[in-house]
Amino acid sequence: VSARRAIAAALLALALAGAQSAALRLAGGGRWPLALPVVVVIWLGLEADLVEGAAGAAAVGWILDALAGGPVGLLASLAVAVFLLARRARGALALQGAPGFAAQAAAGTFLLGLGAVLLTRAAAAPGSAPPLAILRRVALEAALTGLAAAPLHAPLRWLGRRLEREPEAAWPGGLS
Amino acid sequence: VLQILKRYRDLLAVAGLLVVPLAVYVAHARHPGERTTFDRAIVRLARPVERAVGALLAGAMEAWDGTVGLRGAHERARELAARVDGLELDRVELAEVRRENERLRGLLGFAARSLDRPWVGARVVGVRLDPKGLQLLTVDRGADDGLARMMPVVASGGVVGRVHAVFGGSAEVLALTDRNSSIAVRVDRTRTRANVRGAGDPSLCRLDHALRVDDVVEGDLVVTSGTDGVFPRGLPVGRVQGLRKGGQGLYQRADVAPAVDVTRVEEVLVLLSAREGAAASRLDAP
Repeated sequence: VSARRAIAAALLALALAGAQSAALRLAGGGRWPLALPVVVVIWLGLEADLVEGAAGAAAVGWILDALAGGPVGLLASLAVAVFLLARRARGALALQGAPGFAAQAAAGTFLLGLGAVLLTRAAAAPGSAPPLAILRRVALEAALTGLAAAPLHAPLRWLGRRLEREPEAAWPGGLS
Repeated sequence: VLQILKRYRDLLAVAGLLVVPLAVYVAHARHPGERTTFDRAIVRLARPVERAVGALLAGAMEAWDGTVGLRGAHERARELAARVDGLELDRVELAEVRRENERLRGLLGFAARSLDRPWVGARVVGVRLDPKGLQLLTVDRGADDGLARMMPVVASGGVVGRVHAVFGGSAEVLALTDRNSSIAVRVDRTRTRANVRGAGDPSLCRLDHALRVDDVVEGDLVVTSGTDGVFPRGLPVGRVQGLRKGGQGLYQRADVAPAVDVTRVEEVLVLLSAREGAAASRLDAP
């Protein structure tokens, strides 16, 4: 099992999280929600092996947890779950190109957010549980992340090729 | 057992990655604490990227504002320049109004102080100080306002001239500097009688009929004597300069600098004489 994708995913998630923070501060002062690191989890789901991808997704989720400032572990676990779903979907869905990648990123972001809201409501102290109305913002975050994921498709695919140990399997069958 | 672990190690690893973080979260969910050293390191790693990207984006936005947005800036600059021009025009107009106000105040003060006849204020709307012809000022009041020929015209500084011709809504004033103008005067200091006659030069008149034996010195103020039947007495006419006393002859000669600069006067008062004015109006009105 190679750790190259996992390490690359963690570094990429850090870079995207920083870029997202800076961009959102300049564009609307944080009014618009975005979760660019989730795009990396989807990328892992499309390209990585099971353990490598799960480790990378956990690292990305942990980074999200650390940057969020709350109790860690929640997003790490959910990121692994999203990775598994994306990995499962890559064979089952005929999503191709940047639009397919954007749709999966939007779906993954929404599932991550939905899971976070539900688990937080279940586990957190009653006073600090988020209301379900926040799911509207989660949906907006998913839509915006999907839009932002489309232009990231080509660079991530290029990165995947560079990291590929086996050139003949450049892109998983369902999406190539 | 070892074989089973070996066989399902991938699944177990993934399950561990899925469950362990969740367990960590559940364990701390109700009692969140400070970030661990590891988590703080992650945040510290993200900060330089955030700053770099922020600086990059800010630079890009500034470049956008400075280049693509420059077109709008040019238009805005043109609008502001036009507005500044308008404001500058307003400022000049206001300054002009202020100066005019000061002149009118002076004129009114002069009228209240020096004139015991009814008067009509008029604005100079035309000047023809032709050295070949008459030296005339055109004012915006005429027969309709009660003006008539020979009525004296004064400003706050003194005598301007007399009405030469009247029309319905305007009148021509023969300046005291015209060669055809002659005003009976007295030297204010000594009460010496003389005449001030125009010389055809807007800045100069002549002192006529001042006897050689009379006490006249340069700088003496010359005022109307009231004996010519046109001007009331005591109005400033000018100051004596260029005094010349010949060895022989009956009169001494001198120049008089007009008290009012006819090239600059803008508002005047026309002193009315009701009976004569009405008669003259009928004759001169077009």
